[in-house]
Amino acid sequence: MSKVSRRGFLAGASASAGAIVGASAGAWFGADQAAAAAEIKSQTAVLKRKEKFYGAHQNGIELELQTFTNFVAFDLLDGVDRAAMLRWMSLLTDDIARLTQGDAALADAQPQLALGPARLTATVGFGPAMFEKLGLEHQMPDSFKNLPAFKIDALKSEFSGGDVLIHVSADDPIVLSHAVRRLITDSLGFASVRWSQQGFSNAQGVVPHGVRQRNLMGQVDGTDNPGLATDDFENLVWINDGPNWIQGGTIMVFRRIAMQLNTWDQLGRVEKEQVIGRTLDTGAPLGKANETDVIDFDAVDANGLKVIPDFAHIRRAHAHAPGERFFRRPFNYETGVSADGNPDVGLLWTAYQRNLDTQFIPVQRRLERFDLLNKWTTPIGSAVFAIAKGVQPGQVLAAELFA
Amino acid sequence: MKKIFAALVATLFLTTLTGCAEAKPEAVAEVSIVDGWVRVYEGTEAAGGMTGGFATITNNLDSEITLVGASSESAMMTEVHEVAMVDGKMKMQAKEGGITIAPGETVSLEPGGLHVMLMGLKQPLLIGEEVKITLDFEGTDDVAVVWPAKESLAGDEEYVSNQE
Repeated sequence: MSKVSRRGFLAGASASAGAIVGASAGAWFGADQAAAAAEIKSQTAVLKRKEKFYGAHQNGIELELQTFTNFVAFDLLDGVDRAAMLRWMSLLTDDIARLTQGDAALADAQPQLALGPARLTATVGFGPAMFEKLGLEHQMPDSFKNLPAFKIDALKSEFSGGDVLIHVSADDPIVLSHAVRRLITDSLGFASVRWSQQGFSNAQGVVPHGVRQRNLMGQVDGTDNPGLATDDFENLVWINDGPNWIQGGTIMVFRRIAMQLNTWDQLGRVEKEQVIGRTLDTGAPLGKANETDVIDFDAVDANGLKVIPDFAHIRRAHAHAPGERFFRRPFNYETGVSADGNPDVGLLWTAYQRNLDTQFIPVQRRLERFDLLNKWTTPIGSAVFAIAKGVQPGQVLAAELFA
Repeated sequence: MKKIFAALVATLFLTTLTGCAEAKPEAVAEVSIVDGWVRVYEGTEAAGGMTGGFATITNNLDSEITLVGASSESAMMTEVHEVAMVDGKMKMQAKEGGITIAPGETVSLEPGGLHVMLMGLKQPLLIGEEVKITLDFEGTDDVAVVWPAKESLAGDEEYVSNQE
């Protein structure tokens, strides 16, 4: 009898629950068992998908949306210095490397919950307050600062700010929960949790590939993003100058945007489409057929009125200069329903860019001045984080920053 | 004994170390030691405390090896321990004769089980710091490892000295 390879049973350095017999073992079984094994394999395909950890950039940014996400912000404990930051980062680096592979982290109290990779990613960033606390202002990337106040904001401190961010996402909620628990456990010696905000996107296999989803207002969200793995993405998102630790990193804007669905639902379809400037069914700009068609802002209808009104969201959000774009990864949140049936829902909206002054801020200023969508959306949380560059095996995240 | 310094690679896969049908690659160490860490808890907050070190050890030789002891600059005394029932309670004690690992076998040192015991810590253990330990084997060279210190709630057993 042919010797069955043990590889299929030994997924990585730690016991991954439910290791599936590799294809090489197929011949060893009868046809029925092989078919059953193939069936199990396809059922667990979502669990097995992996995102790479090592590389020029941190993971968790330039990839399709995962189904579940948790943004966890921390504030440093008193007395935490650069040496302590380096120890913290070394633990996180090792944890994330393992969790990304679907393996349990060291000292995991529940290693059996490391079911598999499920496209888990974890991204680490630092807020302006951390640079101040550690006397590292000179290491901040160009343009990096707390966002200015916007008239439309109604920010709550429990959703805003933070010294350090760990943003974790995965396609499975238990894999995500387990990973977040581990990363928080390994952080508590250095920082306290300031806030944690959980969100979701579509389940895997529900929408075609791409970084887009339907938000809870029913709109297609994420159109006009720079394409993944394009020069466009590279030039808009990844920082290529300044301090070493950030070259290959980026600046993340985080916004928690509450939606008033009850009043939004009072609008008819035509009104909703006018507010956004896109059709609700396909996401195509008004007057066009496809989501990705170029927007014609000059088009007028038979009455001489603009097809895309002056107040439409896409007109206000549209770049006025080639560099005025950024990469968005919008997740939804839903945290319950009030007694009168009003859901507490909205977006955990992120934008990634090289430069706040030339990318996010001018666009946000236009939205602030005149975007009818503001009637139904309110930013209630806000934060900015400088995301360190990626690591190669043996390196520690942000080591150059804290060395 | 000769000291061999083996850096711990964070993501070392056992697949390269298990007995696959093909011949063993020459690069395989005589002993592979992965997933090592040292526990941080209340008892390591001050000098003089004690704690455990844990790892997965595989014997890649054709003959048995025994982990008979260990040493570390971080502790006054380092021993190989087991957790056993003593008078109806789970207690830690030195493992007589050490930990023997048969050819091709893997042994896990884990909280509540076999472990490397660091006693009389010279300084408080800092979370995330790297602890240098030399593992003393019979049947193969000693191995120097560097294990991160990590917080863990697991592994609170009472220590009993079996020295009369």
